[in-house]
Amino acid sequence: MSTQSILGLFQQPEPAADAMDGLKEAGFELGTFDVLTGTPYPEGAFGEHVPQHRLFRYPAFGAIIGFTLSIFLTSVTQLAYPMVTGGKPILSLFAMLIIMYEMTMLSGVIATVVGIVIESRLPNMKPGIYDTRITEGWIGVVVTFDDDSKVADAEGVLNRAGALEIKHA
Amino acid sequence: MASETVAAGHEATDHHAPPPQVAAEVIARELVATTIGASGRFKAWAWILGALSIAGIVALILKFIDQGDDSTKWGYVAAMVSFLLSVAGGAPMVSMAPVVAKANWVRPVTRIASIFSFAGIATVIMLIPLVAILPPLVTEGARRRTVWYIAPDYSPHFWTTLGLVLLLLTGIMLFYSAALPDFASMRDHSTGWRQRLGKRLARGWVGTDVQWRTLRMRIGMFGTFYFLILVFVNFLISTDFGQSLVPGWRDAIFPMYHTVSGFQAGVAAVVIALYFSRKYMKLEKYVHLDAFWSLGRLLFALTLLWIYFFYSSFIVFWYGRSANDIATLELLIKGPMIYAFIGGLVLMWFVPWWILIWNKVRRGTGAMVVGSFIILIGLLLDRIRTFVPAWSVPPERIHEKWLTVIPDTYWPTVFDVLIIVGGISMVAVIVMLMTRVIPVLSVWQVQEFNLLAKPIKYIKGHATLVAKPD
Repeated sequence: MSTQSILGLFQQPEPAADAMDGLKEAGFELGTFDVLTGTPYPEGAFGEHVPQHRLFRYPAFGAIIGFTLSIFLTSVTQLAYPMVTGGKPILSLFAMLIIMYEMTMLSGVIATVVGIVIESRLPNMKPGIYDTRITEGWIGVVVTFDDDSKVADAEGVLNRAGALEIKHA
Repeated sequence: MASETVAAGHEATDHHAPPPQVAAEVIARELVATTIGASGRFKAWAWILGALSIAGIVALILKFIDQGDDSTKWGYVAAMVSFLLSVAGGAPMVSMAPVVAKANWVRPVTRIASIFSFAGIATVIMLIPLVAILPPLVTEGARRRTVWYIAPDYSPHFWTTLGLVLLLLTGIMLFYSAALPDFASMRDHSTGWRQRLGKRLARGWVGTDVQWRTLRMRIGMFGTFYFLILVFVNFLISTDFGQSLVPGWRDAIFPMYHTVSGFQAGVAAVVIALYFSRKYMKLEKYVHLDAFWSLGRLLFALTLLWIYFFYSSFIVFWYGRSANDIATLELLIKGPMIYAFIGGLVLMWFVPWWILIWNKVRRGTGAMVVGSFIILIGLLLDRIRTFVPAWSVPPERIHEKWLTVIPDTYWPTVFDVLIIVGGISMVAVIVMLMTRVIPVLSVWQVQEFNLLAKPIKYIKGHATLVAKPD
């Protein structure tokens, strides 16, 4: 059974939101339909499913790793080559802060880049059905299904909502 | 459309006039078109600035070959590193800070501000010879006073370079994070190599809800990282490449002074870039007077902050009157660079303050751009009066308790002049070339601006209704 998708194109946001409601009412599962826009509409503007994300965990995790490594690096090097300066303790926090800060930032940034690649689903090797008019302000409602029998139902919902065009892939 | 009429009638004279509404497809088409077909004047300037940039790099190499063993001759290069860090590092803050505060006026400005991240390449190039010349922490068996305490001898060299490279990469990531939807627009509406580049860099962007949500978050995250790293790099450059080279110069305010004046220069650079792109790319309907009005207020506040930080720093030395306080004031203010100091004071604070204080000026564009140019000249003089005397101190005197002999004024050589001109040209040409790669205004943010702001008639007047979703 092959995966199919159809894309309904709308010029105004209201009918696109109606199409999203219609798909929900017609029994399509959350996650099988989505809205494509060229502009970031406020979250929930189309009544779309808002999935959970874990993006905030990546920088936090990276920063903790970098912070821990920096404590290890600065402590071990100072203990390995103990040298009292100005009567201060061998492990002086203020002398270690600069390297701790920079390594925390470095690891945080690297982990954020990794997190973005994973959480944004980018690169999207199979972008699927699409229309270039979406970046001109049109709104696309894409429906994906494994069951061919539902194609007609989805088309009906999109047409009733006022789709100006329906594309198949 | 009634709102268009309302907007058109007021835009020319009133900075509070509702901006005209433009259809999304017109925005995409017109802004993508700005990347194509540079004018003859644009090309001529790009060639001139490019040639000056190359001349600057050649001068830097020749100077390193000729004077690489004498650190006292490198003050102007250090001043340029500081100047470029301030301009190229400070400008992208405009693309982040007001966005976090959900300011609507900033949406058309963010792209041009974040493009300055690429100009950080010029800062890194200038830093390379300086890192090779900066004395290690321990020379002739003695350790000079630095923030590095007992760290390995080449800690400033390594960590400052890493910090600056990290700032460059974070700035580019901040730019790229916000540019993904526009690369998709390039893929959809451009032609030739720009379309191919857009396709490659859009990474399959189609504008799903998840993609937009993560886009917002990564702009916030990279913006936060950028700010934290920028402050840190300003701290390292101002202490390791400035204060630590002058015996007795102990000033806790100087790193913050350096950072704040960098923000001031960054805003000034954005105003200049915005003015020229608005004027010569015919972007008046996308860059409204409201953006200049808001940037003007920001610039005015930062100009006042400059004098606050300078005075806070100065008064400690002036009241202190210990031998090292007197020597530090003599070196940095009264002595070899007094003319640069006076020039910096006048051009960074007094003149811009007197220009920007007037509401009429901030409501326009012409005087704003003049004020911004004056600030950048003032910043250059200020960096020269700080870093040139600091680097003029001979390495053999670096361990003294305070400076007993004030070095003479070190005037720029031909190499120094070429390096300064080349460094500034490099920033300008990088920004110009980037406008050929991606629209100078963010397509999706201009569309979002129109989506969230509607001109309305309010009682007997006119206003802009702005939606601010959480």
